[in-house]
Amino acid sequence: MRALVPLSFVLPVLVGCVVLAFRRWLPRMVTDLLCVATAATVAGCTGLLAHAAGGGRIVEWMGGFTPHRGYSVGIVLVVDPLGAGAACLAAVLTGCALLYGWRYLSDAGEHYHVLMLLFLAAMVAFASAGDLFTLFVFFELMGAVAYALTGMRIEEPESVQGGLTFGVVNSLGAYLTLMGIGVLYARYGQLGLAQLGAAIGAAKPDPALVAAFCLVCCGFLVKAAVVPMHFWLADAHAVAPTPVCVLFSGVMVELGLYAVTRIYWVVFATALPVATIGRTLLVFGVLTALLGAVMCVSQRHLKRLLAYSTVAHLGLFLVGVSTLNADGLAGTAVYVLGHSGVKAALFLLAGILLNRYRSVDEAYLHGRAGLRSPVGWLYLLAGLALAGVPPFGPGLGKALTEEAAGAGHPWLVWLFVAVSALTGGAVLRTGLRIFAGLGEPPGGGDEETTGRSEESETTGPVRGTPVTMLVATCLLLGGGLLVGALPGLARACGRAAAAAIDTLGYRDEVLHGTLRPLAEVPDSYWSASGVLLGLLSAALAVGVALLALARLPERLRRPLRPLEPVLVGLHRLHSGHVGDYVAWLFLGTAALAALVAW
Amino acid sequence: MNRRLRYLVFGLGAAGLAVLFALALAGLPGFGGDSHPYRDRAVHAALAHRTANVVSSINFDQRALDTFGEELILLGSVVGAAALLRPSRRESERPAPDPEARAVPDSVVLLCTVMLPVTVLVGLDVIAHGHLTPGGGFQGGVVLATGLHLLFLGGRYPALQRIRPLAGYQFAESIGVATFATPGLAGLAAGGAFLANVLPYGQFASLASAGTVPVLSLAVGVAVGGGVVVLLAQFLEQALRYSGER
Repeated sequence: MRALVPLSFVLPVLVGCVVLAFRRWLPRMVTDLLCVATAATVAGCTGLLAHAAGGGRIVEWMGGFTPHRGYSVGIVLVVDPLGAGAACLAAVLTGCALLYGWRYLSDAGEHYHVLMLLFLAAMVAFASAGDLFTLFVFFELMGAVAYALTGMRIEEPESVQGGLTFGVVNSLGAYLTLMGIGVLYARYGQLGLAQLGAAIGAAKPDPALVAAFCLVCCGFLVKAAVVPMHFWLADAHAVAPTPVCVLFSGVMVELGLYAVTRIYWVVFATALPVATIGRTLLVFGVLTALLGAVMCVSQRHLKRLLAYSTVAHLGLFLVGVSTLNADGLAGTAVYVLGHSGVKAALFLLAGILLNRYRSVDEAYLHGRAGLRSPVGWLYLLAGLALAGVPPFGPGLGKALTEEAAGAGHPWLVWLFVAVSALTGGAVLRTGLRIFAGLGEPPGGGDEETTGRSEESETTGPVRGTPVTMLVATCLLLGGGLLVGALPGLARACGRAAAAAIDTLGYRDEVLHGTLRPLAEVPDSYWSASGVLLGLLSAALAVGVALLALARLPERLRRPLRPLEPVLVGLHRLHSGHVGDYVAWLFLGTAALAALVAW
Repeated sequence: MNRRLRYLVFGLGAAGLAVLFALALAGLPGFGGDSHPYRDRAVHAALAHRTANVVSSINFDQRALDTFGEELILLGSVVGAAALLRPSRRESERPAPDPEARAVPDSVVLLCTVMLPVTVLVGLDVIAHGHLTPGGGFQGGVVLATGLHLLFLGGRYPALQRIRPLAGYQFAESIGVATFATPGLAGLAAGGAFLANVLPYGQFASLASAGTVPVLSLAVGVAVGGGVVVLLAQFLEQALRYSGER
């Protein structure tokens, strides 16, 4: 079983090498099959690992450099249920994305497959790293591959621009992280998470330690698209090929949050007080959720709309993490799983529209696609699921997270309801317009990105929807349903969260091999209030959609007028200018430090 | 955002970041101190595996997984560059330039001709002795790849193209990466850990010493050499063979 820890990321690398080395002799069909099978195998391995880790961890010292009196020069991989679960999610999404892209991007050839496999390897290794520098190395691998995947559609200048913005902003964030790692290494002479944590211990937090924490977190918060470091996300999602969007929204940005959680709990939890860090993360989370939701409802470019909905949900995840307790983290884990299934399905459905109509513009597509094919129904269903309707996964995750967050600040419950209703409503509005032809096509300002005419991603326009695309979509949406419908999964997330925040247990098991019994975790599943609030936010989402589609009388529209300049101003801030994004990244870092120090 | 607002936001952020950096630097241990916990233990561990070059021991033995990751970053970047720089449907091939058009001084041609074999030899030497003297696969691979491009500097791009069958180099790159993982898996199969040093350590400071370190260094050398050639080739092809809009 322990051998599976390195194998789960070496396997995709080896298959990628084989595909690259023998690409001239491998027919496309074989390559596709090989890659999907690899992703499925990795999903199986990581699933097994998550199960085997149970309430503890699997500790694997690379090269056999096992620690001697709590010290080792080697690298350790630590697989706990949370990490293995994240890796498993990455593998499942990669498999579905590859299945969907069965006939995609034919002129990029096998390069696309190799990059996808390397991306998977990077995410799996990232999720199992127990060493700060190894975490950083695989973070960089994730980045390097992701920039290239974003710019894949080289025929379009926007695509290269999106990839470049993504690359510049994320690399800058990564440099800040590297600085932070340097500070920690200079002070403590260690790089392992557990070793660093033990060395810092319960030290009184001095300014340099706070600075190191902020710098280290910075790169991961950029990856997690936390406001105001989120600007790259929508630009990258708008241009990236659809299967790549699935991985970005479904798991890559969430992994940024995973790293912050892991690093705080293992390295800093005994030194930096929970109250300070929780408050800081809460502020960023609320900001991210609100800005994401507002930007989401005011988009007409389908992929940008879905991207901003990811930003909004990330804000909610961050609020969940900011509770800094097991309940909040467990709810967030369920929420992430459910969200990734549903959001990935939505991206694939948008991709199906793009391939058939060469457009992702809500206005252009108005009434063009009917409800006769399953695509429309799936889209509307996914919209409802995103809004939190039971028994879908996002609904359960939302219920558990808002309960945990509401225990500290009761008003947070309404934040969850409002953000779910707004993002779900935006998706339902576009669905009703495109598939049912309701309402009138929206008119827009000239500054908007419409996505009116885009290059199709397949070689030619697609007649009908290929079975592989539909199967991948149904698998993802079905997965999103199962997350909410299977009580076992929520229970497993509860145990995973309890193990992840067990700071001393992690350090002891990694450094000394001693096992500490995990506290009993209470079962959590749908509660009556959770079901009701889920239904409420779904109903509100339908309301938001219908309100946007209906032509309101002038009397009702007048009070909203003063809000329009604010919205225009927000849209102008998302200018696509790299310099702007860098300026906001700097301000975000400074704000993070100010909030932690305050 | 207009320019003034951008500068304002940036100025505020940069000032905050500067304070943060100053605080971090102030908390660092002084320069040239005695306390180097990692160095002391890393040297000890390198000697235990009879590796003369401690840096190589860290790169290919103690922290070999990081090197594997870095090799993958190079592989990903090369494949990514190849995917992004592939000739698009809108680009057309340029007519071959007149060979006389780009005259290179004879002195440069002579220097490149003399330096080419020397550079290749140095590259091989740096790879082969990576576990004994400063150097190793990364450095040697880059030297090798740059050496080949002396042909281009000497003005003979067709000659470079002849000794550069790209498929072959891409093959070498992927095989190099796979080879790095293989001894690692051997360690795993032998009941040990991934990337464990399973070969005999040999005699200290001899060519056959340090166990798997020279093997991994060679694998990295092959992968990096192949990778850098392919990477540079993408840019050269794009710049020399294809023009913009058709």
